[in-house]
Amino acid sequence: MRRARVLVGVVALAVVAGIAGAQESYPTRPITLVAPFPPGGVADLTARPVGASLEKILKTPVGVVNKTGAAGAVGMQYVATSRPDGYTLLLALSSISIIPEADKIFGRPPAFTVEQFAPIALVSADPTVLVVRAESPWKTAREFIEDAQKRPGQISYSSSGVYGTLHMAMALLEHAANVKLRHVPYAGAGPALTAILGGHVDALASGPAVVLPHLKAGKLRALAGWGEARVASLPDVPTFKELGYPDAEFYIWAGVFAGKGTPEPILTRLRDAMRQVVADPDFKGAMDKLETPIVFKQGEEFQRFFDADARRLAAGVRRVGRIETK
Amino acid sequence: MTETVHNLLLGFSVALSPPVLLYAFVGCVVGTIVGVLPGVGPLAGISLLLPATFGLDATKAIVMLAGIYYGAMYGGSTTSILMRIPGEAASVMTCIDGYAMARKGRAGAALAIAAVGSYVAGTVSVVALMFLAPPLASFALRFGPPEYFALLILGLLVLAYMSSGSMVKALAMATLGLLLGMIGIDQMTGYFRFAYGVVELGDGIGVVPVAVGLFGLSEILATAGQETPPAVIKPTLRELLPSRQEWKDANWPIWRGTVLGFLIGIIPGSAHIISSFVSYAVERRLARRPEEFGQGAVAGVAGPESANNSATSGAFVPMLALVPSGPIPAVMLAAMMVHGVSPGPLLIKQQPELFWGFIASMYVGNVVLLILNLPLVGVFVNLLRVPYPLLYPGILVFCILGVYAVNSSVVDVWIMLVMGLVGYLLRKLEFEPAPIVLGVILAPMIEMALRQSLAMSDGQYAIFLTRPIATTLLAVGVLLVLLSLKSLITHGFDWRERMAMAEKGEEL
Amino acid sequence: MLTTNRAAAVALGVLAVVVLFESRKLPLGSLHNPGPAYMPVLLALALLVFAILVGAYGGASRGLGAVGWSEWRHAAAILGTCAFAAIALERLGYRLTMAIALGFLIGVIERQGVFVTLTLAVALAAGSYLLFDTLLRVPLPRGPFGL
Repeated sequence: MRRARVLVGVVALAVVAGIAGAQESYPTRPITLVAPFPPGGVADLTARPVGASLEKILKTPVGVVNKTGAAGAVGMQYVATSRPDGYTLLLALSSISIIPEADKIFGRPPAFTVEQFAPIALVSADPTVLVVRAESPWKTAREFIEDAQKRPGQISYSSSGVYGTLHMAMALLEHAANVKLRHVPYAGAGPALTAILGGHVDALASGPAVVLPHLKAGKLRALAGWGEARVASLPDVPTFKELGYPDAEFYIWAGVFAGKGTPEPILTRLRDAMRQVVADPDFKGAMDKLETPIVFKQGEEFQRFFDADARRLAAGVRRVGRIETK
Repeated sequence: MTETVHNLLLGFSVALSPPVLLYAFVGCVVGTIVGVLPGVGPLAGISLLLPATFGLDATKAIVMLAGIYYGAMYGGSTTSILMRIPGEAASVMTCIDGYAMARKGRAGAALAIAAVGSYVAGTVSVVALMFLAPPLASFALRFGPPEYFALLILGLLVLAYMSSGSMVKALAMATLGLLLGMIGIDQMTGYFRFAYGVVELGDGIGVVPVAVGLFGLSEILATAGQETPPAVIKPTLRELLPSRQEWKDANWPIWRGTVLGFLIGIIPGSAHIISSFVSYAVERRLARRPEEFGQGAVAGVAGPESANNSATSGAFVPMLALVPSGPIPAVMLAAMMVHGVSPGPLLIKQQPELFWGFIASMYVGNVVLLILNLPLVGVFVNLLRVPYPLLYPGILVFCILGVYAVNSSVVDVWIMLVMGLVGYLLRKLEFEPAPIVLGVILAPMIEMALRQSLAMSDGQYAIFLTRPIATTLLAVGVLLVLLSLKSLITHGFDWRERMAMAEKGEEL
Repeated sequence: MLTTNRAAAVALGVLAVVVLFESRKLPLGSLHNPGPAYMPVLLALALLVFAILVGAYGGASRGLGAVGWSEWRHAAAILGTCAFAAIALERLGYRLTMAIALGFLIGVIERQGVFVTLTLAVALAAGSYLLFDTLLRVPLPRGPFGL
């Protein structure tokens, strides 16, 4: 009897040691970091420095794979359905909260749900800014909003696609300021920017990095930002919060996720690694070149940010509803 | 003018410095290898190889990317001519007459003409780019959805010249292609159309798997099982180069293709893909013996290949005005951003060596590729000597590799498979697949342009008449349609009917 | 007699009807605000018209039997290999999948000798992987055993 108990104890110890050992030796094989957008986009450009730094810290190759399609849904679904062993990670943008909501209002089974992911860390959170052409009559955000209230549905804006990040930002503004604007969707952030530069639309909500050169050259004017604080590179641009519209808060953020069900020790290891990544001078240099400030949140803080953002966006998507044709 | 020349000299001094030259060369070689992969064209090439440039400084990286870009284009024509597998979506037209020339034993000539045409087009368009970029860029910016729609409608008219057989069959194929282009997320409302839960179909079925499947895979399916394998062509050295007559035939199409392609290329967006289709149609319209097209007409290779090359240079025009005008410029701009160069209207002033070095390296790249490709013609043609039963499994592997690599997606391989079967059946039923490819490319663009225009104008169709460029383009389209209808009425039968009647053995 | 034109007309016509059927779930919209179903419905109707025209006026066409279908078994085998490759590519990894596919095509279908089959299959699979994945950093799927 006693020998049996000893045997069980030894076996249990061996198993625990084995598991602990196996996880302590994570990672043992190359890791895949999935960027759900095409090369050259924000997600891709952020994923590569993250991957490079992670590789140095975890001492295992980290390959960035672009799995593109359906505004990011393809790549996100891929990671959601992969084995949660910590070897397939996702660099997601804020659209991760939008896509399942959009699926819901169309009544189709969602490609993935937010619950299928375990958040690791946030690396950047750029608030969008409202830009108009330099020749347009609105010099401040207030003038723009007043004009929009006087002429509902007349002021047009471009976006990267319906239910995309640039669309949702404007939708939140429309609700917060009680205005109605005319939406012209384009296929991506690039064409949306081209549209306003060519004078085909009046306004655009954009990430600050891509419009900065045009602001400096005097072609576009930034009226206000959707952030909690002013954008570092645009200190003269007020936030909608300051102007009295606190509901207009929107960030194009990028964060690293793993699949839900990834063992806790691996998650901890990854979170530690990400902490080291944002301290890595190479990573900082890369993000500087992209003119994207590093905003690092982890654990509880990230979860709270993520949940609040998801709630805001879900409500926004539901408000937009299905774009019914007349 | 002198300032431009001075800047150009600065650019050349950068581009011809040995380390930069080395990277341009490496880029060209790598680009050619990647471009030979079926379906992988310049865009896929630079997307795939962007990571390989991350360790380099900005100028070298941009120069290498430019080399990869052009190399991929040159590589794309090689597979089109030798194996009827489109190296990229825009090489589909080269597959038709280029492969026919190869079957006649003129593979070397076709390859040489494609190389020289690409070189001429590439060089001339780079020069045009230098001098005309700023004014053209602001013109290009004025192309909004209504103008785009009008232009694409014109592109549809091209379909009339794309096939040798019955017009009705060609139109049916075009409609089929347009329908296939409807698959995917509707960009205006977010509905999934005809995707049946397959998320990967959200962006549509993709023109690359369609083109490779319809042309390449169907060719393999039809030829592999033949009892008498296709005759192995063993050309002599003299036969490798084009004859005097062939050079003469290629001359005007090359020039026309260059101008046409450049003009189409400067329009922001993805319109440049249709440049080779439009050039094919123009050449056919102007040819003295249009019935040659499809059987190995030199103009059918020279025109589209030149148009293709100069369109891709033209696509850089808006980019150099630092407007992200399409996927290719977007990747190049992103590459610049990654290397710390902030693209913007002030780029030219702030970093002249980068800008002019880039332009100069495009010129250098063209020369390098011409030097690389002409001797390689002999090497490539020798590939054709391998007995077909051993050759086609290898080709199949490369098709799968190329189609998969573009998006790391197995769904693309399935699409290629299905389209291969469709292409095989179409061959048996005597339909031509080329209009399908054009339809798949045009459908989403036309629909989006129309609905965007209506969104901009709040539902008023009058927007097409209030914007000068759009109105002009539409008027040109109406004129073309009226002209062809007129010839139908006054001249009785056109050459197409004459061909059909000759086939039936009737008399005129 | 079932000519190629009539067979094609039937196939295209059926496809057009299927598209029309599937489009009924999507909102049609109006002329001034076309919905997601607008273009597909228009195109499907056009396809139906063309299908009928092809069947009636397509021009000279042969009987279905007169078309040479002799190689269909071969073609089916090739398609089957492609399907296998699509299924196995991300599960077995690039090299293993391609080696098997090549081995099947060269050895079984084309009935070349064992030596030729093995050399070609392994060389092409490994060689293309080396060139594109290792040298050019084009990500290709890896399967079990790191293959």
